[in-house]
This record gives sequence, C-alpha cells and structure tokens, in this order.
Amino acid sequence: MNPKEYKYTKDNEWIFFESDGVGRIGITDYAQAHLGDVVFLELGSVGTEVSQFGKIGEIESVKAVSDLFTPVSGTVTEINQKAVDKPSLVNTDPYGDGWLVKLEISNPTELDALMSSDEYEQLTSH
Amino acid sequence: MSETACNQGELVESAKRTAFNKAHHDLGAKMLAFAGWDLPIWYTSALDEHRAVRSGTGMFDVSHMGRIRLTGKRVGNFINKIVTRPVERIPLGSGQLCLLLVEDGGILDDLWVYQIGADDYLLVWNACNFELKYDWILEWAANDSGVIINNVTEDTFMLAVQGPKASRMKTLESVSQLPRFGFMETDVGGIRVIVARTGYTGEDGYEIMGDAASALSLWQLFLEQGVVPCGLGARDSLRLEAGMMLYGQDMDRSTNPFEAGLGWLVDLDGSEFIGKSALLKIKQRGITRKLIGFQMKERGIARHGHRILKDGKDVGMVTSGGLAPSLGVNIGMGYVPVEMVNIGTELEIVIREKPVAAEIVSRRFYRNGGMK
Repeated sequence: MNPKEYKYTKDNEWIFFESDGVGRIGITDYAQAHLGDVVFLELGSVGTEVSQFGKIGEIESVKAVSDLFTPVSGTVTEINQKAVDKPSLVNTDPYGDGWLVKLEISNPTELDALMSSDEYEQLTSH
Repeated sequence: MSETACNQGELVESAKRTAFNKAHHDLGAKMLAFAGWDLPIWYTSALDEHRAVRSGTGMFDVSHMGRIRLTGKRVGNFINKIVTRPVERIPLGSGQLCLLLVEDGGILDDLWVYQIGADDYLLVWNACNFELKYDWILEWAANDSGVIINNVTEDTFMLAVQGPKASRMKTLESVSQLPRFGFMETDVGGIRVIVARTGYTGEDGYEIMGDAASALSLWQLFLEQGVVPCGLGARDSLRLEAGMMLYGQDMDRSTNPFEAGLGWLVDLDGSEFIGKSALLKIKQRGITRKLIGFQMKERGIARHGHRILKDGKDVGMVTSGGLAPSLGVNIGMGYVPVEMVNIGTELEIVIREKPVAAEIVSRRFYRNGGMK
C-alpha cells in the first residue's frame, strides 16, 4: 500500500518530507511492478539544482529505460548509493531502502500540485 | 518482399494465443505482444526466472515459433534447395540447425530441420517474419506436386524445459539418454510428443512439441513438479549470456552468415541452395565486419541500436545488450570492422549521448560446465 504520509505524482514518483526542508524521493510500488526488475540507476550528482517535474535521473529495468522526474524543485543533497549498487532494492522496498535521492526543497508551496495517497490510488486502480 | 517488425510491443487485442495462453493469464503473468503473439514477458521477476534456469529447471512457452511440416516425394530435394545444409548430412536421430537465405546471401532465418520419417520433415523457425518466410518457401515450392507444405504452428504446442536439473526429472526419464540435438517421439506424462534435446538458454534441456489440445495438462504436470514458468525476459537474458544470437537483432537480411559467425551452418561442398553462389563470392572477397561480444567496463547498459566507437570514431552498432544476471556484469554484441575484433580491444558504447568504455570479450560470456 502507498504510505499515507507520502505525496505522489502522475509520473509515479513519491516524495516524503523528512525534516529541515529535506524531501526523500522514490518511485511507487505501481511503477516498480510495471517496470519489472530494475537493473540500473543513473541518479546524477549531489549539488545539482532541479526544478519541479524536471528530469533528475534514469531507471533501467530488464524491459525499458524510464526517466525519473522530481516532484518538487530543489538541490540534490544525497543519492542512495545502496540502491545504485543494488537496484533490486527499488523492487523489493520502493518506499523504504529503495529510495533514490534526497532534495533540499526550495519551494514548499509546490507540494500543493501533488497527489495524496488516496488520489494516487484512484489514478492507478484502473 | 519486405520485413516486418519483430519487435515486442504493448498488448494488442489481435495478438494470437498459444495453447498455453490460459495458463499465463491464470498465473497473472505480465503479457506483451511479441511477433504478433500474446506472450508472458515475466510471471513475477525476469531475474528470478533467469536464475531458476541456471540452477534448477524452468519452462518457456515457445509455441510462437513456426512449425512447418514438409512431406512428399521430392521433399528432400526441396529442403536442400532452400536451406544451407543438405538433409543427407543430418545425423541419424538428430536435428540439424541451418539457415534460410535469400539470393544475395542475406539471412532470412535460422531454423532446425528434423526428419520425422521417410519423405517427412519438420522445420522449426523463429516467430519473427513468419508470413514472409512461409510465402517464400511456398513460392519456391510452387507447382511442385512432390512437396506438401503444412503450417502446423497453431495446431501444436512447443514447450522448452531448461536447466541443469531438467534431465533428472522422472517425467523426462524416457528422454534422459538423448544426445545433445537428438530428438525422438515418445510419451511424456501420457502425452504423445516429439522431444529434442535443444534449447536457447546455454543450459541442458529439452524442447517438447505436441498436439495443442494436450498443452495445458503437460504444463500443469511440470508446474506441480516445481518447474518454474519463465517469460521472454529471462529467455532473452539467458540466450544473450550464452552468446546466442537473436534473429531480427543480431542478424537479418542485411547480414551474411560469415560476418555473423555462422559459417559452420553453411555447407558449400554440398548441393546447390538459394544464396550459395552469393556466399561463394563473399567467401572469396572476404568479410569486412564481424559480430563480437563485449563487456562494459564502466557503468551503463548497452542496448540494440546504440553506436559503437573506437578512438572516438563510429565503427559499428550494438545488436543486443543487457545485464548478464549470472555474471553480474553488463554485456552485449555488435558488429565492428574485422581489423578490430581481437579480444581485449577497447571500445566505447554511446549510451544516451554519453560514450561509455567497453572491451571485446569472448561471445561465450557464460559457459556451463554441466552442458551435455
């Protein structure tokens, strides 16, 4: 199930506000199931500035390459090296150990453009 | 004559269904349209299915492959005319892998020829471009009442049971003594089938053909014995890791057998066949490019269509690429000029605009010591 405390995009990413204006970003369970086994992650570098819904990386599964977009604007503060080394974490734990990047969020009002878990479930239920 | 795409795509309503189709849907497989057939890409995980075949036993619905029965008084001569090795050279009780060529020596397909009886043969070829190949052989057989061509693809099933433990299964005891590439007609689980000791995974295993009506009960029997259903995803990574080529990607009508490393499937001393005179010329002239295997030295996965660079200059294209799950590295195949095919040659693969370092390695990426 999609965690209630996360926010979602129509591109199947999630974001969770950790603390001090830092957001943790990943892809949803729906997305990982659709992609199949993730075999490669390209997540850019720390310090990169990104704007809302812009591309921040690439996710490659056995089947296809997909772009990863950021739910909000900000600066990349951390990349999940554990997931880079072991991309299967994205499949086994998409909301936990399979997170992808952390951002220092520059504009918290952008949150309003994102979906709640209920709204996201509606979007992906058919 | 034009080739149609053999690509996989999203599911289409009109896709044909194999005799195992219900089983795939019952298991909740992720389906896609492949060469016009509704087939599983994976059931739960392509990587898990890959590993199941490397360590135990997996099964693949390969009923989409074309099966053509050829009979008649002049059928032997006819086959000799259309394929690259004469039927007289087929080892007794064995199938023979050969090629179907067009006049200029380009490859139309690779296929197995089995002799079922006197003047009775079975061809098994790739699903890709079925109509084109079928029309091609019909055309060459036109007006010859001594050749009867029968497409049995949709009346039959084909199931590949693959893995180091396949030959130890009680159900397959009757075929455990078959030599590699050997085949026989036998009963498996009470069902009359033709079994060949062949496969496309780099492991020991069998390909089983029988009447479509018996398909689901055989599937169920293997399922109950713990054989892991595997989809096209695992099929592709297994064959790539074993260095096996995929028609439509690693070879096609623009490729000749010598540059594809398939000269061993061509018998130039035997009878006349379509494409032979072109091959003799190519052999005399020599080839300019060759299929090689490579391993990525930096992070990145090469895919079909990516450019290959040598010292910054374009030298070729990737034909297949991906993760080698059993080796934990990223590998691929592609054509490069013959002067740079040595093992250890450094190349770069352009992955999404970025050159990434790679090195030529043996195309037998994965070698299985247990292969019979």
